[in-house]
Amino acid sequence: MLKYIAKRFGQIFILFYVFLALLFLLLDLQPGDISQQFVGNPNIPPEAKEIMVRQLGLDQPKIVQLGNHLWNYSFGMDMGVSWSSYPREVSDILFSALPRTVFLFLTATVMSFWLGFYTGKLVAWRRGTFIEKSAMVTSIFFWTVFYPWFAILMLWFFASQLGWFPIGKFISVEKWIGAPYAADDVFMLMLGTIALVTLVYGVARYVIDRSSDDPQTRRNFHRLALWSLAGIAGAFWAFSARRTYAGDILWHTFVPVLTLTLVNFAGTTLLTRSSMLETLREDYILTARAKGVPERTIRDRHAARNAMLPVTTSLVLQLAVVIAGGVITEQIFSWPGLGRALLGAITAEDIPVAMGALALIGILSLLAHLVADITYAFLDPRIRVQG
Amino acid sequence: MAQTLHIESRGGRVGTPLLEVQNLVMHYGTKEGEVSAVDNVSFTLNNGEAIGLVGESGCGKTSVALTLLRLLPDNSVIKGGDIKLDGESLIDLDEEQMRRRRWRDISMVFQGAMNSWNPVYRIGDQIREALRLHWPETLTYQEETDRIGALFELVGLNPVTMERYPHEFSGGMRQRAVIAMALSCNPKVIIADEPTTALDVIVQDQILRELKKIQQELGMSIIYISHDIAVIAEVTERMGVMYAGKLVELGSTLEVFHRPRHPYSYLLLSSTPSITGPRRKLAPLEGEPPNLLNPPTGCRFHPRCPFAIDKCSSEEPGLVEVGEGHSVACWNWQEVPEIGGLQK
Amino acid sequence: MADILTPPTERLDGFDPSAVLEEPLWRIRLRLSWRSFRKNWALFSDNKMGIVGILIIALFGIMALAHPVLMATVWQDHLEGGKNVYDIRAGADSIIVTKTIVEEVTDPVTQISQIEAMFLGTGVSIPEIGDTIEAPLANPAPPVLSGVDHPHILGTDPFGGDVFSQLLFGARAAFLLGAIAALSSVALATLVGTIAAYFGGVIDTLLMRLADLVILIPLLPLLIVVSGFWNVELTMLGILIGVLGGLGGTAIILKSQALSVKVKPFIDAARIAGGGHWRIITRHIIPNVLPLSFLYMMFAVTGAIFTEAALSFLGLLNIQQSWGIMINIAHTQGYTLEGLDVWWLMLPAGLSITLFSAGFFLVGRAMDEVVNPRLRKR
Repeated sequence: MLKYIAKRFGQIFILFYVFLALLFLLLDLQPGDISQQFVGNPNIPPEAKEIMVRQLGLDQPKIVQLGNHLWNYSFGMDMGVSWSSYPREVSDILFSALPRTVFLFLTATVMSFWLGFYTGKLVAWRRGTFIEKSAMVTSIFFWTVFYPWFAILMLWFFASQLGWFPIGKFISVEKWIGAPYAADDVFMLMLGTIALVTLVYGVARYVIDRSSDDPQTRRNFHRLALWSLAGIAGAFWAFSARRTYAGDILWHTFVPVLTLTLVNFAGTTLLTRSSMLETLREDYILTARAKGVPERTIRDRHAARNAMLPVTTSLVLQLAVVIAGGVITEQIFSWPGLGRALLGAITAEDIPVAMGALALIGILSLLAHLVADITYAFLDPRIRVQG
Repeated sequence: MAQTLHIESRGGRVGTPLLEVQNLVMHYGTKEGEVSAVDNVSFTLNNGEAIGLVGESGCGKTSVALTLLRLLPDNSVIKGGDIKLDGESLIDLDEEQMRRRRWRDISMVFQGAMNSWNPVYRIGDQIREALRLHWPETLTYQEETDRIGALFELVGLNPVTMERYPHEFSGGMRQRAVIAMALSCNPKVIIADEPTTALDVIVQDQILRELKKIQQELGMSIIYISHDIAVIAEVTERMGVMYAGKLVELGSTLEVFHRPRHPYSYLLLSSTPSITGPRRKLAPLEGEPPNLLNPPTGCRFHPRCPFAIDKCSSEEPGLVEVGEGHSVACWNWQEVPEIGGLQK
Repeated sequence: MADILTPPTERLDGFDPSAVLEEPLWRIRLRLSWRSFRKNWALFSDNKMGIVGILIIALFGIMALAHPVLMATVWQDHLEGGKNVYDIRAGADSIIVTKTIVEEVTDPVTQISQIEAMFLGTGVSIPEIGDTIEAPLANPAPPVLSGVDHPHILGTDPFGGDVFSQLLFGARAAFLLGAIAALSSVALATLVGTIAAYFGGVIDTLLMRLADLVILIPLLPLLIVVSGFWNVELTMLGILIGVLGGLGGTAIILKSQALSVKVKPFIDAARIAGGGHWRIITRHIIPNVLPLSFLYMMFAVTGAIFTEAALSFLGLLNIQQSWGIMINIAHTQGYTLEGLDVWWLMLPAGLSITLFSAGFFLVGRAMDEVVNPRLRKR
């Protein structure tokens, strides 16, 4: 298992560098050289141009430039300086946007996976019924709906028609005037809480699995651990002075997360359904029936557990959709994340920021693949236990 | 403790009838029409006895097995007949009552048992599941483990391997574990549907011997289902021959092998070479099995039958007694010649 | 087997196929393919969703064909101020007013966004924030169904362009893009997949690592950068989407299909009969991979349309008119929150993109059940 993860990790590491190099080439292929914008400007004297060319390293051979590019990205965390908001560093701009994108992406993915898997499971189980048919039509609608249009409709409905939620943005500025906390700090604390709960829960599960052989006992303790951790985290925030501010952030996240979740949820439902239908034809399902296993247990413990494997793999292919959806969501809901930074940089022709944003989105995508691979390895004993 | 380790058959006194199948009729509804997969099949399984059902693939053997456990797909209907276990009808039970009977009373070793294991759970835990569902008392985890260990030893597996996943087992080991699982709740009847088909010949032989030994030692009642006459010959005392959803011949295994009375049994046996018997010409079985959507009138075998007479295409023959405990459904059974026979 | 082992020359010596076969070979082939088509159609038509998909595609096909026909006949004479009112880009009905260029439009009557100003600008200088510019009064006309004195049955966009005409034109653009992207993607994927499967070894490893890389690259952000820096028009976009799609996931799926074909005995037979690599690939492997390729073509169309519309919506493409641009105009002109009050601005275009994708998706799913028997009901 460790060997498998290490191998995947190595592959992904190499792929990332190939990706970065390709980005550099893309930049290099750009019509008329990136320096032309300044160097070609007739108002700049030739001496200044020369200094600029040398400072930018444009006089060096391409391969050295590529080397510098890769070096700076990986070791200096140096992505250059923004052109449109000079002299801010690109990494500064992007790293403040990163957590917001990660949050949007993670919550939408996790929620859509759970909901989609659950629905897909039920829908496949009730094949041929009216519920199945209407669920299928709904899923296909959400899966093929033109996402930007759908997002605009959601914004219009929730923010403009109902007025329950704000019109985009990350915070309501007026509420934060004179606030003792910075919005990003509160947000990071919220993310930190979620990360900590997940981590502690993971460790607790590991300990429980090591200390008990009985599946039923294990399940009960898993549940106990989850609920008590959630309770502690909830209590911490309920008594914290930051809770109104955290509430404001959550209020702003609701519609974007819901929109992104709905669309991805449909994809997972469709995938789970076909995976379940294939699994239900397997011999071991017939064995379980012959064993007199109750139908609900067959569905949940025998069929769905196996149907989850291909769904996890396909999530990787679905990732492109989530990322595309994320970029569009950020744009429509004015959510200050990586996607919006990327689009803003494109409009302002701010090449360093655009490249940096693309590289970071690439890293996110790579990490998501790695997580999906590791999850798969955990779920499938044929990989987890080398025979 | 000792009680939980005891592996036995919960059937009654040896020789008394245990499972009675009477005039069973089962249809599959398809888009093209009704397929009569099992037509008027009757047989009895006695306590402590091993019987066999043999026939080409698609002749309804597996459908009979699935009907006994009521595991049929949604598009099937039991049109008539009855299945009695210890005198109690299984057809009349509701789904929940039937679910409780499965594995407890009738367990099954499946066709292609290689794939009968759920790949994501340990072998031991899958047997444990059956114990939890059907063992009359609640067992402790350790008691369950001990019983699974005892079952593993009985079928020739190392108890340590119960911690393994199915992919870590070889085909033969998986098959042995399937047998262990079938025995886990001390059933009254075991149905073995093509128990060794996917295995290579040597492993096949080992497993059959093992099964026969267990059956005789525990006095277990087993129904073997196979397309392979050699398998049936090795392990059963009585056998039935099925053709196109019908039982065409029923008798003691020795009798049927030495003196088949139905033309189909005759051709089936003649098309199998005997290694130990005298050299003889093999008679090929020509033609295709009939389409059950629209079975031939009269005897279903008559289009392929070399001994067919006029009556065969118009009237359906019923089972008639032709010897002691040997009955056959054929109008012209007297004409069927003797074959070399099989030396056991 | 004996037949296969005989060298082909000996076997065919003095053997005239036409002497045995009464019919010419092409007619037998035609009959066989007709028979398999009928069989597959029976399976396909079992799935009602697939039929719905075909109907949707047919409807859009009619729409795409209708636009040039209508422009040449019924719509020809509707001139106002020297312009045809059905012209997709600029209608003649618009009123020109002076607007201030701002970063974010709050009042579409007096303000205009920088991007939109760039479209309107004379091209000499990039419009600056705070400047003023002569622009059409952004004021969409509602639809009037009578169509006698008011010719716009689906209303007009903020610039006075006829929505119905734009919608029909958009169907044409969608088909063009979908066809280019799907064909190039699947042709490439089939080739890459079969070559990787057939030759194996280093070629396989290289192609599959490339596929891994392509899958890992986030497509839309990459295309955002590309279309932000380059001048990307429809054909170019179609090829870009096709190449990136064809080297990735589809190639891997088609490779596994090609692998399962490669190990079949008839490939060995063809090799023993003296078939060269290229002949075996083109005559024996590819025909057996094609059904699956065709299936992925349907899904490729769905993906391509989404990508195009999303990029158009973001205002990054240099194309004449598409459904995505219709939504973009409504959005950038500040009608986002008007929602269904000005429904004709976004609803027709949004629904068209959705239905168009759904049509191909449904056909793809129905074909999946034909190609992949494990998904069938029984």
